[in-house]
Amino acid sequence: MKIWTSEHVFDHPWETVTTAAMQKYPNPMNPSVVGVDVLDRHVDPSGKLHSHRLLSTEWGLPSIVKSISFTNMVSVDERLTYKPHPQNPEKTVLTQEAIISVKGVSLSSYLEGLMASTISSNASKGREAMEWVIHKLNAEIEELAASARGGMRTPLVAAALAEK
Amino acid sequence: MNSVGEGCTDMKREYDQCFNRWFAEKFLKGDTSGDPCTELFKRYQQCVQKAIKEKEIPIEGLEFMGHGREKPESSS
Repeated sequence: MKIWTSEHVFDHPWETVTTAAMQKYPNPMNPSVVGVDVLDRHVDPSGKLHSHRLLSTEWGLPSIVKSISFTNMVSVDERLTYKPHPQNPEKTVLTQEAIISVKGVSLSSYLEGLMASTISSNASKGREAMEWVIHKLNAEIEELAASARGGMRTPLVAAALAEK
Repeated sequence: MNSVGEGCTDMKREYDQCFNRWFAEKFLKGDTSGDPCTELFKRYQQCVQKAIKEKEIPIEGLEFMGHGREKPESSS
């Protein structure tokens, strides 16, 4: 049962966005992600890169959610797809959807609404996190380029770089 | 970023650095000439798979929407 979908456009090219997605954590918007591990990674014969990752999180879950999860009645899957914008190669379209799978129980519309609004606000936080990571990566590139230009540095910039 | 296995964090970071460089400088530019990170990955995997077993993290049989692998159209 699909309970939530959204589409968002990033003002950055696809290569930048996917690089940021690979390095999304840590970021200040998701303090509960405490670990990221790669369980499998390979490029398939068609040239597609597959990454299977495990995210370790420390959440304070309300006890009702904990008990539901432990009885395996409900699972929430989320799919994010980043595609180059069809009209503008400098932009990237993110399509996001959350699917709830329920075993033998029908989800009340109240619960569905509650979960959809939580997912929606998390998605907003997630996009903010992506912008933060993109900004950080671009700043690092800038800094590398500046130091490669070498003797063009002013004394003030040299001091700032030395301090880092 | 840490690994789920505390002793694996350094190996993970070394591998991550290698992968990030390969991803941006080779893969995204269409260069499929080879993977410079296989050794680092092997070492890191040995460590993390052991940690996952020890912590009894249930990763077997995890599926997305009833599929063992991602659907092809989900990748860009």
